[in-house]
Amino acid sequence: MKVSKRLYSYYLIWPALLIYSVFFVLPALTGLFYSFTDWRLDREAIKFIGWDNFERIFTDRTLLLAMKNTAIFAIVTVLGKNLLGIALAVGLNMKLKSKNLLRAIFYSPSILSVLVISIVFTPMLRSDGTINRIFEAVGLPSLSQAWLTNPALVIWTVAFVSIWQHTGFQMAIYLAGLQSISKEYYEAATIDGAGSWRSFRSITIPLLLPAININLMLTLIGGLKVFSEVFVLTGGGPGNASQVVGTIILRSFGEGSWGLGTAVNTLLFAAVTVIAIPLLIFMRRKEVSE
Amino acid sequence: MSFSRKMAWRNYLVEGFLILASLLIILPLLIMLFGSFMTSSEVLKFSLRLPEEWKFSNYTTVFKEGGLGRAFLNGMLITGVSSILNIFTSSAASFILVRRETKWSNFLYMFFFMGLIAPMSTITTIRVVQWMGFYGSITSVILIYASLNTAFSVFLYSGFIRSIPKALDEVAFLEGANTFDVFFKIVTPLIVPVNATVAIMVFMSVWNDITIPLYFLTDSSDWTMPLSVYNFYGKYSRDWNLIFADLVLTSLPVLILYIFCQKYIVSGLTAGAVKG
Repeated sequence: MKVSKRLYSYYLIWPALLIYSVFFVLPALTGLFYSFTDWRLDREAIKFIGWDNFERIFTDRTLLLAMKNTAIFAIVTVLGKNLLGIALAVGLNMKLKSKNLLRAIFYSPSILSVLVISIVFTPMLRSDGTINRIFEAVGLPSLSQAWLTNPALVIWTVAFVSIWQHTGFQMAIYLAGLQSISKEYYEAATIDGAGSWRSFRSITIPLLLPAININLMLTLIGGLKVFSEVFVLTGGGPGNASQVVGTIILRSFGEGSWGLGTAVNTLLFAAVTVIAIPLLIFMRRKEVSE
Repeated sequence: MSFSRKMAWRNYLVEGFLILASLLIILPLLIMLFGSFMTSSEVLKFSLRLPEEWKFSNYTTVFKEGGLGRAFLNGMLITGVSSILNIFTSSAASFILVRRETKWSNFLYMFFFMGLIAPMSTITTIRVVQWMGFYGSITSVILIYASLNTAFSVFLYSGFIRSIPKALDEVAFLEGANTFDVFFKIVTPLIVPVNATVAIMVFMSVWNDITIPLYFLTDSSDWTMPLSVYNFYGKYSRDWNLIFADLVLTSLPVLILYIFCQKYIVSGLTAGAVKG
């Protein structure tokens, strides 16, 4: 009694496909083309210039720094959000009296706009700001820093703010994953004499893999696409010390060098794809083995 | 007995530590909240204290000076319409993608899925919208948000629809129903919880976003709340009490939504992200 596939009409796909193709895929494809041109706001004629834009990206110090910063931001936030996210989720999965309240508190910053959190942190991160005053008050003045104006430190500060805001979201996904693990596994392990670290390593981590994979992918892709945090906290400064790929694209757009801007975007696209596809394949393999 | 006592001690220890850690989250938010009721000189200490006098007038000042009434309505319009459009188009598409198990539908699923990975090409999107003749309009922003969220929504819907037995459709088809009947009368009622999840996720991401309005809304009278707040932040850089009041106001809609709908967020994440 098999129902013909023809009964599921393709018409229902069309609205989503149309909107997605016109406003997402088409710009991506035209971007690929414009990456190889000298497209500028102030010029009518567009000339094909081969790999020139990409050569410029790899020789321009600001653009190289922007890519390095993007990589630092992505790696630091992936590690921070996931390690802290798992730790919080494991803690808040225990029988605690205040667990519902604590879950809500840790999750709350991630529902707010990046703009809101970045502005709240701006005065606290100044040299005479709240954070440095706290360090001095507890007798650790050596820890106080020029968080947003020290070129060597600034991208790490921005990453810290992002970890502060979004770890709760990762925690929520890990909690959902933890709750789908049957308690019987842990009971069996305890009877066999396994300690809590052993249970964590041999039961929790393997069964949490789907959640770990989705979180790694979300944080990695989000990290490589970072824009708003840098835009609001530092505007790319001091100098160009905290430029990332996202702010470089805005700058190219403002300057009218659109060919270069799309080339930077194409490079970001390539980087995200090259890193994310192997991760995806890994995820799929895990799904099959379960 | 001694084992369970040891467990209890460990729980108290973890609980105490987590309560301390939660202060790190609460304190900055309270500095913002209390600061929004202070005078402009009192707030400049940026430390945690209650305002000497609760100045509710900050909020009325901000609402008038920041043009927030207009920005609120713009945000509601953009967020509301793009969420509804996204829910309708993505759920319909996911239904067919999941049910037709052909190579072509697998390909289309991956085609949509790439949208989760690929970054948006902002500059050429502007170009495409210019070609179509509505660059700078609220309509363009609504369509862009609907397209940007398609990938994530299709991902969530597909995970959920896969768990609905196909036998339900088959019975309806045998009774003479067509695809549209089956989708609207059988599948739509069953996916109401996912609709809620998608609505909340899209609402939050669109409401909080500043990137798209920054590039696409050329006229400040079309701006949404966060972008108006950003503009206000630039202009009133000395009046942190007003800036904080502005931040609280722009956060209120998502906060209210979260308080009423939090169970859908967790159930949706479980259905889509963890199991899907």
